[in-house]
Amino acid sequence: MSHRRDSWLKVLAISASLVLAAFIVAVLFLIVSHSPPQSFLNSLLSEEISFAIYLSLKTSVASTALCILIAVPAAYGLARYDFLGKNVVNTLLDMPLALPPLVAGVGLLLFFGTSPLGKVLAEAGLVFVFTPLGIVVAQFFVNMPFMLRIMRSTFEGISPRYEYVAKTLGCTDAQALLRVTLPMASNGLLAGAVITWSKGIGEFGAALMIAGATRMKTETLPISLFLNMSCGQLEQAISAATILIFISMISLYIFERHGGGACL
Amino acid sequence: MLQMEDVYKDLGEFILKNVSLRVEDGEYLVIIGPTGSGKTILIETLAGIYAPDRGKIFLDGREITKEAPKDRNICMVYQDYMLFPHLNVEKNIAFGLKARKVPRDEIDERVSKASRLLGIERLLHRYPNTLSGGEQQRAAIARAIVMEPAVLLLDEPLSALDGLTREKLRKELKSLHSFYKTTVIHVTHNFEEVFSLADKVAVMNGGEIVQEGTPEVVFRKPNCEMVANFVGVENLFRGTCITKGDSLEIDVRGLRVVSTADEVMEGGEVFASVRPEEILMSKSPLDSSARNSFPGIVEDVVDNGSTMKICVDVGISFVVILTRQGYQDMELENGTPVYLTFKASSVHVF
Repeated sequence: MSHRRDSWLKVLAISASLVLAAFIVAVLFLIVSHSPPQSFLNSLLSEEISFAIYLSLKTSVASTALCILIAVPAAYGLARYDFLGKNVVNTLLDMPLALPPLVAGVGLLLFFGTSPLGKVLAEAGLVFVFTPLGIVVAQFFVNMPFMLRIMRSTFEGISPRYEYVAKTLGCTDAQALLRVTLPMASNGLLAGAVITWSKGIGEFGAALMIAGATRMKTETLPISLFLNMSCGQLEQAISAATILIFISMISLYIFERHGGGACL
Repeated sequence: MLQMEDVYKDLGEFILKNVSLRVEDGEYLVIIGPTGSGKTILIETLAGIYAPDRGKIFLDGREITKEAPKDRNICMVYQDYMLFPHLNVEKNIAFGLKARKVPRDEIDERVSKASRLLGIERLLHRYPNTLSGGEQQRAAIARAIVMEPAVLLLDEPLSALDGLTREKLRKELKSLHSFYKTTVIHVTHNFEEVFSLADKVAVMNGGEIVQEGTPEVVFRKPNCEMVANFVGVENLFRGTCITKGDSLEIDVRGLRVVSTADEVMEGGEVFASVRPEEILMSKSPLDSSARNSFPGIVEDVVDNGSTMKICVDVGISFVVILTRQGYQDMELENGTPVYLTFKASSVHVF
């Protein structure tokens, strides 16, 4: 009796996973197979999509670099040192993950548009509102927690004794970090960079709020998809979507292969 | 000479309470103590990983209390090797020399010398995760001694290894020490390491050094109950080793004790111990296959509650544990003649 119930459960559970997988494949396949290859190539070479690809690459690389520059030291600090209010800081740094991107975008718009600091930056020539710079900031704000969490768990997984040994062998604190801990964290760093970059390329909500959706100005791939969809240019919209799918698949592959023990 | 004066360090979980310690040049100090007694924090403080809250540390007359680890020339080897996994063995060993900007050809020369000494010259191009535990620990030791440190700190260096490898590496540590004449501080909870390696032993408990001295003194004359319970070695004798056929005789002040232990060098000074509960006591000679049987007289009886500790003089003094029932059945008192019998395999030699 119990044996039969077990096999029912088995069939049900496996079917659920198969149905889910089939659903995902169907959705992706419908997009990729929608336009014939020729028209996909044509729109890929069109001025608008080329611009969107270029802008997406530029902004996502910039925001990923920014994430590495800032989130890596922050993650190291949180993993290695104890300080007053560490728990609060930990929670705050994870906050953008839970925040709807649109809300983050509104906040960024107010921060850079109306706050004194935003005005000082604007006067210094750093204009974030309705510019590509705004896209970079939006991507950074929304995706920084991914980098931070991956690097924090990576650093936590590396015994500080490696650094102790390095220091007794003649390294300063910084040299021990650069020559031992960072190379040991390279898989986490790669996984974090890939996930941050691919999330950055797909970032829409926050970027829409602060940078707007202006054709040929702040038009990244997701924005292009949105603009073309709204005015019925399905071919263009689909090619933007197809490119985004390929980027996601490649990133997922790299992440799974090199992410190792890193967890989000 | 390395000297610690009233060093106090509180890490919350572990603590050092006013530790004072003096290690002469070239001396091999073994620190033993139960888990959590502060052994590791002691050597990490010596290495400069933690700054003491109070107290001072001197190395060759120079105060190093606040000096950065990199400037101390004190190297460390951990139980779990801590080889850098992204570097091959050669680069691991060369790591410190490179950090100190030693010229390239001198690095090559010193690395090959150290790896030859530790028998790992054929592993230089391998990565740590492809090596066995023993090989990894050799590489870690090579990485430290290649620096020719003023003091070498070993944190349970043999504890993660299997019995045979441990034995081998223990002997190599001894010959490395006599070769390099480095001052060594070796933390362990393995008594055999104390006897085979230590010039001096220090027992730690609760963040304090409770006793220090030669191994013989600490093990034979524990100065407090904690040390006595912790070292827990009764019937410990020093003697000269004589090989007879496939077994071994230890001459302890004229008394020949037979052991099945192998591998001990002929004519060498050894320690032998017999656990009190492995000794049979009888009033007449026992007819058994046991190869050690000695007549003696009861010297002293100590009541431990459920068990009785009987000291018997057979030329040397043995301690035997009897149950209260067994003691009463035998009707023992001071001066009663008895026989002690134990198997050759009960005699532990180190």
